[in-house]
Amino acid sequence: MLKKLLKYDLKYMLKNMSVFYILTIFFALTTRLFFSLNQTIIIQVISQISVGIMYALIANTLINTLMRSWLRFRDSIYKDEAYLTHTLPVSKNNIYDSKFIQTLVFFIAGFMVIILALFIAYYTKERWQLLKEFINTITTGLDFKPVVFISGFLAVVFLELFNAIQCGFLGIILGHKKYQNKTAFSVLFGFVVYLVSQSLVLAMSYVVGLFNESIMNLFKFNYLVDTNAFKLLMILAIILYVVIIFITSIICKKELNKGVNVE
Amino acid sequence: MELLEIKDLTKSYDKKIALNNINIKIESGKIVGLLGQNGAGKTTLIKLINDLLTPDKGEILVNGKKVGIESKKIIAYLPEKTYLNKQMKVVEVLEYFKDFYDDFDLEKAKKLLLDLNLDINQKLSTMSKGMQEKVQLVLVMSRNADLYILDEPLGGVDPATRDYILDTILSNFKENASVIISTHLISDIERILDEIIFIKDGSVILQSDADSLRNKEHSSIDEIFRRMFKC
Repeated sequence: MLKKLLKYDLKYMLKNMSVFYILTIFFALTTRLFFSLNQTIIIQVISQISVGIMYALIANTLINTLMRSWLRFRDSIYKDEAYLTHTLPVSKNNIYDSKFIQTLVFFIAGFMVIILALFIAYYTKERWQLLKEFINTITTGLDFKPVVFISGFLAVVFLELFNAIQCGFLGIILGHKKYQNKTAFSVLFGFVVYLVSQSLVLAMSYVVGLFNESIMNLFKFNYLVDTNAFKLLMILAIILYVVIIFITSIICKKELNKGVNVE
Repeated sequence: MELLEIKDLTKSYDKKIALNNINIKIESGKIVGLLGQNGAGKTTLIKLINDLLTPDKGEILVNGKKVGIESKKIIAYLPEKTYLNKQMKVVEVLEYFKDFYDDFDLEKAKKLLLDLNLDINQKLSTMSKGMQEKVQLVLVMSRNADLYILDEPLGGVDPATRDYILDTILSNFKENASVIISTHLISDIERILDEIIFIKDGSVILQSDADSLRNKEHSSIDEIFRRMFKC
């Protein structure tokens, strides 16, 4: 049943997001086109407008995915559509998993669209070389292989985003246990859960720091004393976020399985 | 074994008690009228049976099993609200029901929609509320369920449409299935009822066979209702 739920959740998001993906790529193309033309004042103005719209759309790709995932979650589980969702012969765990995977898929898709848009707008051999050298400089300094550094960095960014999304889901679930001001409580609880999760990451890093001087130095000094600390911190962040996301997911499912009260 | 058994069910919203220690048994093959004034607790009871609310106390058993995946497989529920995703076309909604409900009869649904002159390629967002309600009725009545629960199916529609809806319900539910119809428009459904349940202020004040009650009181269910619920 998860597959079936996912099919419809993905279809819904694709219907809503595809237009923004197309627009982002379109304005990436226009950006490239206008910058390749002879730069008269009019062309310069149009180029800058095109760049502005492209960046607005890039930001929209992430913000829209985030907001739409939360709204979709709320509408499917607590608003009118809940009358269908909760009367389907599927488990609450499947309903939750479908929403989570849907968000995950569209964040990855969004990132790919952003990378593609930036590539279309700005790619030249020289810039590509410059980027490679920039990454090499960082990774050599930090004693990392470039692929490992990029993978690790992206993993931390993605996990941080998923954590934020899931905090929002848990906030919505807890907020809808109240009889009044459900939206306000959802936002409040979501924010509190997010703060708690971030504090946990910080606290756990400090605890690890008690046994590892490299990590502790990050708390003592406001600069990177030891390149080893960066590696450790990246690994630690990945582990902590995975654990926190897993625990939050269990809490969300447990709360959903206790039952809902649809308006 | 009863098709539906409700034991000591209580539900409150914050401090207001909506249902108070309800006990109901419904057998297979009955058309049951769930009757009461607005705010009596009919919709709350129906939502509890359909897992849309969580009870404070008590138990609901469908075919002897607690409300869950198995009960949802055999209950076809028509809520008061229009609950379908408005971005979908009717044909997509049909596909959705076919995907999730093994007992959904796609051909029957298409035929019923055709009878109602509804275009299956039309988007729900472009349909009137009345048309959307008809689509929902068709979806529910196209399932070969054991228990149909219809919450105010006649609310807000003209008398001609009411007759059509009643005919659709009567001619489409599975043999030996039960139907629970919640309404306060008693005169419209009286002729089809086998049993009645009167709900007042969150309590069941009467559950009886419709014919026995009529014979005992020498009046119609509608008249009995008016006497019992006189303001």
